[in-house]
Amino acid sequence: MNVIETHGLCKRYGDKLRVDHLNLSVPEGTIYGFLGPNGAGKSTTLKMILGLARPTAGEITVFGQTVNRQNRIAILRQVGSLIESPSYYGHLTGEENLRIVQTLRGVSPKDVRRVLQIVRLDGQREKKVAHYSLGMKQRLGLAAALLGFPELLILDEPTNGLDPAGIQEMRELILTLPQQFGMTVVVSSHLLSEIDQIAGTVGIIREGQLVFQDSLSALHAHSRPSLALRTTDNAAAAELLSRSGLSCRQEAGYLTLPLLSDASAAQLSQLLAAHQLGLLRLEERQRSLEDIFLALTGGKEGSL
Amino acid sequence: MRLIGMEFFKCRRRQVPLICLALIAAQLLWMGVSISRMELEEMSDGWMLLLHSLTVIDAVMLPLTVAAIASRSCELEHRGHTLKLLETVRTPGALFDAKLAWGAVWIALLLLGREIVLTVYCLCTGFPLSVPWGRLALHLFFSFAVSLTIYVLQESLSLLFANQAVALVAGIFGSFVGLFTLFFSPAVQRLVLWSYYGVLALTVQDWNAATRVTHFYWLEPNWPGLGLLAVWFLLLLAVGRSLFVRKEV
Repeated sequence: MNVIETHGLCKRYGDKLRVDHLNLSVPEGTIYGFLGPNGAGKSTTLKMILGLARPTAGEITVFGQTVNRQNRIAILRQVGSLIESPSYYGHLTGEENLRIVQTLRGVSPKDVRRVLQIVRLDGQREKKVAHYSLGMKQRLGLAAALLGFPELLILDEPTNGLDPAGIQEMRELILTLPQQFGMTVVVSSHLLSEIDQIAGTVGIIREGQLVFQDSLSALHAHSRPSLALRTTDNAAAAELLSRSGLSCRQEAGYLTLPLLSDASAAQLSQLLAAHQLGLLRLEERQRSLEDIFLALTGGKEGSL
Repeated sequence: MRLIGMEFFKCRRRQVPLICLALIAAQLLWMGVSISRMELEEMSDGWMLLLHSLTVIDAVMLPLTVAAIASRSCELEHRGHTLKLLETVRTPGALFDAKLAWGAVWIALLLLGREIVLTVYCLCTGFPLSVPWGRLALHLFFSFAVSLTIYVLQESLSLLFANQAVALVAGIFGSFVGLFTLFFSPAVQRLVLWSYYGVLALTVQDWNAATRVTHFYWLEPNWPGLGLLAVWFLLLLAVGRSLFVRKEV
């Protein structure tokens, strides 16, 4: 079952379609990595799911129920969220901040101490939040989202502004949530490495459009190895290979073709030599996940 | 009720009582100066002088005070980016209503406290013992009604604009306009929200140029004026609330 589904979800700001017919499917019990460059429409999408922004078109289903103005709050009782920067009252202590959310969510007061322990802020609970570091505020935001231990957690760029240790800590924390509390977690990020380390399912958004949605392993499968070669005359070599039934493409001074066996590679070099084409370089290449992400999101020329 | 309780909880250490005490102190000072200039024979008109002075003082001071109170409650939502959290647990309309109820309680406490302090002070300074309780209560109610209507406007501005300067400038503008329109005709006064302290005044001052003597007279409560104020209230509430509800965070 999918915890979140969107169908043809659109959001227009002025003339620009920020979210363009998005069909998102978040499976239950997974960590869903929502990946895309800054300004791709991640936060807008998550805000629409939470009802903080109104869709221009499309439908949102959470826990199998179509979200509308009447049932939004009832559905969101089982959803915790941390959107963009953490929400807090700086003049109140960490515990007082959580007390407000706990009261409004109508969950047990005991949860406050428990979530403070989970995010390791128990020792700072009586300190005013204005005096917290950004990392501590971020953890407080996560604690507020965890109150009541909802079935679904939506975290928008939760590691923004954190130092490497803070990022690692947040990552470890998120990883424990599905197993420990049975939560489905949606994490957005513009960093592939981050999503690569925590997500099981990935959705990649580019200029408001979903360009990839599948398991992380399916994304990894795209990183097939290939063979790159440079000759004294690449154009003539490309033509020769094409005539020999080998598809290749030219990019950045190289001819790229699917990975060949050792025997086929030897035949290839002999073929080139037979036609007076000198082989200058022959390399085995593997596209990194980064390359795939850039190809999908338009950060670099190329396609999958 | 839970949401209103949370408004009080959130506004801890926000010095809202201090704003109220500052207003009461300023009004007490104003009345102290006015009473010290009174002749002994004028004391018989003391209660009318009090209510007449309060009309002017309220027009000057309350719009800005109300703006400050509304801003104290709304600014913290902008500063802490809390609306995007609160609106996932409560509807924006409910949040607006809770802030309105919170403001109504503070304005009621402020005006009640002010009325008690000034009444006691006036009695101590030799005002007649026949206190016009009914008129004082009516004045309290009218001041509350005008201030609450101004509060709706101020709350809307404070919630819609993150920069609180917008709301505070509106408060200062209201104080000026409220005072100046007291010298205009009632027809003009009815068109300006901040001049309703004057529209609903319970006393009138008559200054005789020949004798250079001032007399005060009681006025009948201006119920049609109150009805018009109710229209202002409903209009501002409908517009302010719907703009806030439609605003995306």
